[in-house]
Amino acid sequence: MWGEYSIGLLLVLVSGVIGFVALAIETDDLHRLLLLDLVEISSLGIIALLGTDLAEALVLPGLTVGIAELLALSQIYITKERLKDKPVKGLNIEVIRKADAPVVISAFLVVYGLILSGFTGGGVAGLGLVFFFMSRGYQEDLNMLEMASGISWAIWIFAFFVFMFLPQYWFVALMCAAVGIVLKVTVKMSLVGTMWGEHRE
Amino acid sequence: MSSIGGVPFYILEFGDELVYFTPYTITLFLLALVFTVLVILSRPERQVDIAFGGDAYTTKQISVDEMRFRRFMSIACGLASMGAMVTGDIFNFTLFTAMVGITNVGIVAAVKSPHVQNAAYQYGLVALSATVPLFGAAAVYAASTGSLSMIELARGTLPAVPIIAKALLVIGVIGEGMAPFYAAKAEMFRAPGAPYVIMCSLSSLVIFLRVVEVVMLG
Repeated sequence: MWGEYSIGLLLVLVSGVIGFVALAIETDDLHRLLLLDLVEISSLGIIALLGTDLAEALVLPGLTVGIAELLALSQIYITKERLKDKPVKGLNIEVIRKADAPVVISAFLVVYGLILSGFTGGGVAGLGLVFFFMSRGYQEDLNMLEMASGISWAIWIFAFFVFMFLPQYWFVALMCAAVGIVLKVTVKMSLVGTMWGEHRE
Repeated sequence: MSSIGGVPFYILEFGDELVYFTPYTITLFLLALVFTVLVILSRPERQVDIAFGGDAYTTKQISVDEMRFRRFMSIACGLASMGAMVTGDIFNFTLFTAMVGITNVGIVAAVKSPHVQNAAYQYGLVALSATVPLFGAAAVYAASTGSLSMIELARGTLPAVPIIAKALLVIGVIGEGMAPFYAAKAEMFRAPGAPYVIMCSLSSLVIFLRVVEVVMLG
């Protein structure tokens, strides 16, 4: 049952997984770019396993696209590293800090938004968070928010995946999608709420 | 041929390569076309920052160079989306999707702002890694059915496509053509310049709608 193709495919997939694990562990941007090039090789490996003329014809465009993306990304990397010390003036924001009222109002909006759920609920809850960030200034660490946004997106995608491949579990998928979208819209609104200018890193 | 897209109106064959229009794909094609024309005609908006607690506001300046580059990238993105809509070949579809990924990064990366650049870079990493499942899926399609032609796959005479190939294709498209599989897409969208940034979202939409049809084949 295990033909040469299957063994080859397994080996390539295992090497691909190793590459992706390395990518997930690595934190340095440049190193990740280099690792990606390595991971890309495994996709060429899968194509090459076809072992026909067609494989040859398909490896070439695959390779070209990979190189094009690599070039574009390294260009972005160069630009982004050079632009570090560009002084930009922040905007003056005049709000009451450390008062209790904004906390109460935003907490109310968030709770109400969660009860509403769905897109509207996300909007309302997001508005609550926007208001909170406005009143507190914008020193908060946005990494947590960005992570929540990513996770909610992943839940949403997972739900779509279930819709497409396991339609009998549509109800679970629907619930996942609803939760995902409420988180997503909330987080997106609150991220928008903290955008005041270019001075944050 | 019966598929989710309906009976093709027109099939254009270049040897192995073929292009076909069904009621479904022609709708998506026209959507992408209209939007590309709009991008060509429209002028970029200037993002406004409003100071809270006062009536002060500033508009961001967009240089002509930056505008030109982003418009070019948006048009390229529209063309790639249109290509992905009408192509009848799985591998060409993956290539067009990869092109949409690159141009999406390009649309955003032209903005000279560190956090937008940083976001574009991170998204680019995801897009680049998504080419692995994307091309892998096309290769498994070819290996298991012996054909990459969507018309042949829809005919139902070929061996069934393994679910893993379809799953890889969807994962690849999600990573590549759908910008949002990245934690802070909102960060990317701080980039000023309305019609161009919306092209990212529109291409994601049409690509995703098309991949649904492709997965249903075979």
